[in-house]
Amino acid sequence: MVDRRRAARFAPTVAAFRSAGATALELGFPFSDPVADGPVLEAEADRSLSDGTRWKDLLAACRVASRTLPIAVMTYANPIWRQGLDRALGALAGSGATGLIVPDLSLEDSPAWRRAARRAGISLVLLAAPGASPARVARLARASRGFLYLVAHYGTTGATVAGAGVDLRPLIAAARAAAPRLPLVVGFGIRDRASVARALEQGADGVVVATALEERIARGASPESLGAWLRSITRPA
Amino acid sequence: MPRRYGPYGGSFVPETLVPALTELEAAWRSARRDPAFRRELARLSSTLGGRPTPLYFARRLTERGGGAQIWLKREDLLHTGAHKFNNALGQGLLTRRMGKPRLIAETGAGQHGVATAMIGSALGLETEVYMGEVDIERQRPNVDRMRLLGARVIPVRSGRRTLKDAINAALRDWITNVRTTHYLLGSAVGPHPYPALVADFQSVIGREIRQQSRRAFGRLPDLAVACVGGGSNAIGTFRPLLRTDVELLGVEAGGRPGSNGAASLSAGRPGILHGSFSYVLQDADGQIADTESISAGLDYPGVGPEHAWLKDTGRARYVAVADRDALRAFHWLARDEGILPALEPSHALYAALREARRRPRTQHIVVTLSGRGDKDLAVVLRASR
Repeated sequence: MVDRRRAARFAPTVAAFRSAGATALELGFPFSDPVADGPVLEAEADRSLSDGTRWKDLLAACRVASRTLPIAVMTYANPIWRQGLDRALGALAGSGATGLIVPDLSLEDSPAWRRAARRAGISLVLLAAPGASPARVARLARASRGFLYLVAHYGTTGATVAGAGVDLRPLIAAARAAAPRLPLVVGFGIRDRASVARALEQGADGVVVATALEERIARGASPESLGAWLRSITRPA
Repeated sequence: MPRRYGPYGGSFVPETLVPALTELEAAWRSARRDPAFRRELARLSSTLGGRPTPLYFARRLTERGGGAQIWLKREDLLHTGAHKFNNALGQGLLTRRMGKPRLIAETGAGQHGVATAMIGSALGLETEVYMGEVDIERQRPNVDRMRLLGARVIPVRSGRRTLKDAINAALRDWITNVRTTHYLLGSAVGPHPYPALVADFQSVIGREIRQQSRRAFGRLPDLAVACVGGGSNAIGTFRPLLRTDVELLGVEAGGRPGSNGAASLSAGRPGILHGSFSYVLQDADGQIADTESISAGLDYPGVGPEHAWLKDTGRARYVAVADRDALRAFHWLARDEGILPALEPSHALYAALREARRRPRTQHIVVTLSGRGDKDLAVVLRASR
């Protein structure tokens, strides 16, 4: 997550992620009311906002990180809306971001956003969650650009789920059938070797690790140790 | 059922909630056509709730104003002490119809929490209520009432620890437990279908005003006044009067002098909060602003999307009333009429009296007295010292 007061460590951290094998960076911009987020990301958003993080800091971070990895910005609908869709998406594209993930944007409210994203050259990534009908997953897959973000469980980001969790295979099958070339990426609760392996076994093309990294960043972990940890959960046994 | 009011409304929610919102809309569509459901709703509204609530002529308050006649729609006499009963009953019955065993709710002043706890007991549903720590402190009697009615009250410690944060916490619970849980949202806010659903259940207020004012003074009132936090008692008052020539006035919380208080319509701008597009108090980056009001029930930075559209079209007017003026109106009603109003409708009373002063005696003003003031005694006594 962007944080004005951690700007100095940002570039080395992104470089460490790339060395560890990351193929893209999900860069969070804090929102005051992050309803899809669990306690860790909520606390980090609060901290970032009280550190004085502003929209311009997001654009600066995009300019820095886009030299190293493709960037998908993750933030809620209102910070984008407040700037104006065209202005916000244009600024993100101009700062080197390639994708945008908005966890509280539903398919029904997304048409204007998708048009604005197309105009700006930004991939608007939609999310599909457990409980959605196969028909809805198909519509989401056809409308999503860049990749489709599959939510791994019923819950907020970072939650640990008892037992084996939700079976993602029906979601993956429906999305594949509708959009065969669209990468499918699993997030929410990816925190260790087992959860990464499970997502890939079920047929996902990739995973997003957010809370588990943010937790370590909040504890002051060095870029090297973040990279080492990321490698430890993603490298095949 | 409208999904949008002009450009406002929509359902800006995480995908996980979409199936539950679809299910809720379908359940309501079928229930409202079902004579058995409507009979049950009407029966419990009357035998459990005490409907219809009276329309009372406030003679001495009218004399104080010296102008138009002031009438009070007595939602404060409803079971559990506020209009929140209407919506809690309706959604409670829908929950049973959907076969979900658990209810969650948010509460600010505690009135919606108490109504939810009550209906949870009456229908045998497990009930948990999220409430900000600040509100737990200032609305203590309602916390005790919820607990005695069998609900668990979960303190919310994030953000400013008031209503907005309680809604965040309830939404997170719902995302996690959506298969077994109904979120009994208490105001006409949130994602579709909540604004429409809550307005439907609260419209009984305006329907009764229509009938009772014809009976009491032979015609519709000239002006209807209601307080607006999220806006449920106001939309319930306004909606059945929309296609008449009754003037509509919504009253927001102005807070202390020099602050924005919690007046989203008067001081905010369009934005997206808690699932819908409406007026929101926010900064230049779209971060939601802090609010402040003496009344916990109005202390909210957003407002229902239908009010946003009524404002833009000019069909309703919205003004803000400061804390100290709401307190003055509280004391007026206590001393003039022997009624202790909640601090929320005290804002509406102040605005109504101001309107009454400017209008001739031949005019009639109906104020929705949305709740009673027992819960506010500690706050009022402290402020009056």
